[in-house]
Amino acid sequence: MITIKKLSHDFVIGKKGRQTIIPVLRDINLTVGQGEIVTIVGRSGSGKSTLLNLVSGFIHPKEGEIWVKEEKVSDLNETKFADFRIKNLGFIFQSFQLIPSMTAFQNVELPLILKGINDRERKKKTEEMLKKVGLLEYQDHYPGELSGGQQQRVSIARALIVNPPIILADEPTGSLDSETEAELLKFIKELNRDLGITFLIITHDDKVAEIGHRTIELRDGLIVEEVASLCN
Amino acid sequence: MQLKDQFRFVRQNMKKNKTRVFMTILATAMGCAFLIVLASVGFGLQKSVVKEITEQRVITQIDVHGKELNDQDGFRPLNETDIQLFEKVKDVKAVTRRKMLQQESTYIIGNYQESAQTYVTNFASEVKAGFELSEGRLPKGKDEIVVGYNFSLNLASKDAPGDIYDKKGQIKAEYRYSGKLIGQKLELTVRQNKDGKQVEKTIPLTVVGITKKPTREWAEDRTVFIADEMLTEIENFTGTPKGLLLDENSEVPAEFKAQDNSYDEVKIYAKNMEAVQSISDKLTEKKYGTYSVVNELKEVNMVFMIAKAGLIFIGTIAILIASIGIYNTMTMAVTERAPDIGIMKAIGANPKTIKRIFLLESSYIGLIGALIGTVVSYGISYTVNFAIPLIIKQAFGKETQIDLIFSDIPLILPLICIVICFGVTIISGFRPAQRATKVDVLKAMRREV
Ligand SMILES: Nc1ncnc2c1ncn2[C@@H]1O[C@H](COP(=O)(O)OP(=O)(O)O)[C@@H](O)[C@H]1O
Ligand SMILES: [Mg+2]
Repeated sequence: MITIKKLSHDFVIGKKGRQTIIPVLRDINLTVGQGEIVTIVGRSGSGKSTLLNLVSGFIHPKEGEIWVKEEKVSDLNETKFADFRIKNLGFIFQSFQLIPSMTAFQNVELPLILKGINDRERKKKTEEMLKKVGLLEYQDHYPGELSGGQQQRVSIARALIVNPPIILADEPTGSLDSETEAELLKFIKELNRDLGITFLIITHDDKVAEIGHRTIELRDGLIVEEVASLCN
Repeated sequence: MQLKDQFRFVRQNMKKNKTRVFMTILATAMGCAFLIVLASVGFGLQKSVVKEITEQRVITQIDVHGKELNDQDGFRPLNETDIQLFEKVKDVKAVTRRKMLQQESTYIIGNYQESAQTYVTNFASEVKAGFELSEGRLPKGKDEIVVGYNFSLNLASKDAPGDIYDKKGQIKAEYRYSGKLIGQKLELTVRQNKDGKQVEKTIPLTVVGITKKPTREWAEDRTVFIADEMLTEIENFTGTPKGLLLDENSEVPAEFKAQDNSYDEVKIYAKNMEAVQSISDKLTEKKYGTYSVVNELKEVNMVFMIAKAGLIFIGTIAILIASIGIYNTMTMAVTERAPDIGIMKAIGANPKTIKRIFLLESSYIGLIGALIGTVVSYGISYTVNFAIPLIIKQAFGKETQIDLIFSDIPLILPLICIVICFGVTIISGFRPAQRATKVDVLKAMRREV
């Protein structure tokens, strides 16, 4: 489903003439199979987010290839990547990334609007999805009027609404208390089992790491360990 | 993304900062209103001038005032040969030609008298050109005449006291001839200086027809048409062509020039307005001096064309200034909405769509501004047309000339304005829209709420 070949990335900071190069990822090779949950762990600053952002297309790799669903996404331009993203990728962020001026309903509906789906179908699908995450009665609430757990469920609903085969999550439980975290993890497992959605999850939390079929540890931009999860 | 949804986004976005959007629309509306009102003065004055020109004269009429002399400056008067040539030109409906009695002619009916212009004309061609009588018939005999519609209005009593005119400048009814004219006998007095003293001759005439009422309200027709033979008789008396009155001291010239059979007023009537140009072109080619309304209109319209273009240009500057506001508003909108744009991009919004939404927003502002500006400028235009004559009346104590239009907004003007405004807003919204597409997803999402 996701194949990363010889991926290296570094950031260049500072003005011209006084630039410093920060190497982040070095020679990463990774494969995520269909229907797999892969978790990536590592210390803060080890390059986990950078890896995920490269797969998401938010940054462009300096070296190496990224393949997602038989598409060499590392070669796609911005416009093409946008189209690819809305069809294939769902995102869950640590800070939810909901649009504050839109209601829960409107936030969930947004990807369907971007896809150009008509009003009626949109309403039906959005309501269905809100029901699935248990937030139908909160549909007219703005993100500011929802708890962290509810906001994260809205963002999951938004990620799921276009039926993406892959969901990328960067510290999905980072802003949640342990009870909501457990709920979310259960939900992720259900989605994986019932819908066969592939997950690539970044975390520094052991409990999250445990739900992965495989867990990969990053250290200083290198994959140091690949452990098959014991919980499955 | 459907266009309908894009519009919905635009409207929602505009609602987020109503005051700012309102001020921007206001500035655009003011720019547009300024352009339209400014240019409308050009259009209005042009309309007035054109109206004035076309009302004074018949539009299909071409005046021919002579033929250019080959080696000298100046023109020679036209004669029968020229007329025959004119009549053969394509699309000529009629050629009227008049000879004018070259002295002041006084007409007397009993105790009333009036001096009027006296002409000899070819009635057949006049009728072809549209000449009509309101009463009576065309003259047949030598002593029969046709008088102008307003002739009787000016027949004043000989023994009236000093001031015989009323406020409107017309002769007061009590001093005016009130009898009927048709069949009435009157006397024409012609004069000549012979051997140092003035001799007079009175000629008895009969009125047989009255011309139709002039179409222009202010026009007064008090001409008198006499027969050709009568003019010859007068020429025989004066010894000069067309009854020219000589100076007191000069003698009757030895060579009797009555054969100088030239016309004083020659007018060609074209079949339609379109033919006027080609006829006058042909005549100019043959070295005739011509004048027609169409020629004059062409020049007038040219001058106004330049003036209007200048006014529109100045008005465009106002819209350009307003566009700075649009640029500013859109730039701020992009900055403010950068986090939202980042999220939308992250979940797969196409950069092109984002650009389109912002361009849509700036052109929406421009369009609303232009529409409001148009409505306002119609209001201003009506007010100006209503108020300026009143102000002039107040200031100078008299009315302005009949319907002077100060400001006129033909449909093309708002259209020009909307096109200019639309273009300018698209241009000024382009950079902010471009910036919106460049919003960095990660930077935008890094805000912590
Ligand atoms: N946009 C950036 N510019 C410069 N350096 C960056 C940028 N993003 C991340 N880094 C650096 O890359 C390294 C890895 O960061 P990150 O991938 O966010 O780590 P993690 O998610 O594992 O905490 C860090 O040292 C960070 O300072
Ligand atoms: Mg991170």
